Amino acid sequence: MNLHLVKLAIGSIRSRRTRSWLTVIGVLIGVTAVVSLLSIGTGVERAVLQQFKDIGYDIIVIAPSGMAAVLGEGGRAFMSGADPDSGPGRVQAMASSFAPTGGTFDPSQIGQPTGSSAAVASVQSGGVDTQKLVQAVPGVIEAGNLGTRVVSVDGPGASGFLRLTTPSQSFLQAFPSILGGFEIESGTAFTNAAMNEVVVGARSAASLGVGAGDTLTVDGERFTVVGILASSGAASEGTARSTPGAQGSADNAVAGALPGGGASFLTRGLTNTDDSLFVLQERANTLWSGQNTTTTTIVRMATGADVEGVLAGIATELTAQGVRGTPTSVQQIAASIQGALGMIATVLASIAAVALIVGGVGMMNTMYTSVLERTREIGVLKAIGARDGQVLALFLVDSGLMGLIGGVLGLVAGGILSLLGTRLLGPALGVGSFRPVFEASLILGVVAASFVIGALSGAWPAWRASRLNPVEALAAE
Amino acid sequence: MIAFHDVRKTYPMGETRVEALRGVSAEIPRERMTAVMGPSGSGKSTMLHLAGCLDTPTSGRVICDGQDLGSLSSRRRAEFRATTVGFVFQKFNLVPNLTALRNVELPLLLRGESATSSRKKALDALDVVELGDRRRHRPTKLSGGEQQRVAIARALVNAPKLVLADEPTGNLDTETGTRILRLLRGLVETGKTVVVVTHNPEIAHEADALIALRDGRVESLSAPRADGEQA
Repeated sequence: MNLHLVKLAIGSIRSRRTRSWLTVIGVLIGVTAVVSLLSIGTGVERAVLQQFKDIGYDIIVIAPSGMAAVLGEGGRAFMSGADPDSGPGRVQAMASSFAPTGGTFDPSQIGQPTGSSAAVASVQSGGVDTQKLVQAVPGVIEAGNLGTRVVSVDGPGASGFLRLTTPSQSFLQAFPSILGGFEIESGTAFTNAAMNEVVVGARSAASLGVGAGDTLTVDGERFTVVGILASSGAASEGTARSTPGAQGSADNAVAGALPGGGASFLTRGLTNTDDSLFVLQERANTLWSGQNTTTTTIVRMATGADVEGVLAGIATELTAQGVRGTPTSVQQIAASIQGALGMIATVLASIAAVALIVGGVGMMNTMYTSVLERTREIGVLKAIGARDGQVLALFLVDSGLMGLIGGVLGLVAGGILSLLGTRLLGPALGVGSFRPVFEASLILGVVAASFVIGALSGAWPAWRASRLNPVEALAAE
Repeated sequence: MIAFHDVRKTYPMGETRVEALRGVSAEIPRERMTAVMGPSGSGKSTMLHLAGCLDTPTSGRVICDGQDLGSLSSRRRAEFRATTVGFVFQKFNLVPNLTALRNVELPLLLRGESATSSRKKALDALDVVELGDRRRHRPTKLSGGEQQRVAIARALVNAPKLVLADEPTGNLDTETGTRILRLLRGLVETGKTVVVVTHNPEIAHEADALIALRDGRVESLSAPRADGEQA
């Protein structure tokens, strides 16, 4: 019986082939939009959260101006990748970095006063060592400082300004992953905090023309290059601000040509190892006390420690010692970014929903026209004994089937579109490669929803059809 | 079989109301062929629709085998049409996207009969109208006479007691019309009650009983011939 109604509905869909297809396409477009936007959105979210997971949810960051600084850095890295110029094909344009990220070698700036960037208030006011301070807080296992500032550098090959990164010894022990593993390619890591030792990032080493064992002058102090870091493989940061003729250009171009990815946008925001110099913080403090250094302190909590409690403990300790700085847990950062992504996803889903509604209205139009056209047929069906409910069901199955076909085809189209889309979006968003996520609930939901939308759009026309007076329906032309 | 008692039917037509039947009392004899005649607008078709439970009277009663058709619910009326009545229309009214066979099966399937039994009965009905070989054709591939015979097969397939034909030969040439008429005439021999609405005096001549209408009223009634029996 019901099967017969389905057959009858299929017959009527096929007999109006062109219009049925147009109606199906309306639904298809809506479903395609929903599927591709949701699966890409979920994919981006998963990829971002995976990066936070890699950093570790047990990490607390104490930044000079709180989370804003960390997010600002991370956000810039996140944004900078969105520049179409940042593709490997445009390496020449990446020779120079955006000023606030600091550290890119630029010989034209030699002799100018100390760099304009990184002048955020120091955490280490009054000579208090934040990492020691917070290690006393219950729930903290280990902590380490990471400072950055811009310094003038004199090398055998070139001179200029570079970013100096000053990790503390405990930082290097506890959190090497934040510096991309701090992997030494040639030479050694730091050997003695009492000596003037510098480790040079891959790109900086190439720019300065130094190798392990060479000597560098950093802010007037002579340093021995003990080691060269392995290249992180990350693309150079920042937007195009090319310095023609700069010695760094060609070398940067080589490094920049390496495929991006690997380094997470968050850690890339904290430090870009390729374009930096590294001196132990203990040594740097001895040599340059009183210099404006932006210091971020990274804290690892004990497993199962209460995040809120640890954050509050750190804040209390900082306030008590008069240290400026706001502790933020990676969980909070992740939640904040997740919230932002969620909002974007909601907006996109709303747009997709509008497309789906438009498809539904198209369906309603088709079904209404169909009822008008088939008025006499409805009269005949009633004359040969069809009940109102059967006529209603016939039209509902008709529109529901078209909705279902549109849904299934839209699912396929949306899937293909999001697979293509992620290939383009991944590099553009700077989150590396990621895949769209097709959750079973999305697939089942979309197919069910398209049937329901089809049936609902057909409901009113179908109801009208079922209520037609058979005599009037038979009299219709 | 069917008795009309002072039946009135008015339709809304735009701002005004049309009185299609203005107090009709008549009887349709069982197992006979009755012709309903009259000029256009005299209420012939309305009478047929009321007899077939397609419509309900504004006032008065239409009684079929002791049952007041006007008091039935929409669902019971659909059931009455599905089991007791077979309609044949002037414009054939086959479902265009179904084959002859599927058209004939339709009343049975709507009634919930199994596919196999429906198929068998539909093939039998097509044999009665001698169209077994045309069962796979769609209506557009059939001539007018063939379409009307498919329509008759559809009307017969659920073995109704009552066959109602609204100008069944109106769209056909004389020869084909005669054949259809013979077919309907033959149904009476198999125990069915047939009502034919027509303009055609020849059909009226063939009928056992005649109801002549004018302006919604009965102009004349002619009872069945002596050998007939009343409802």
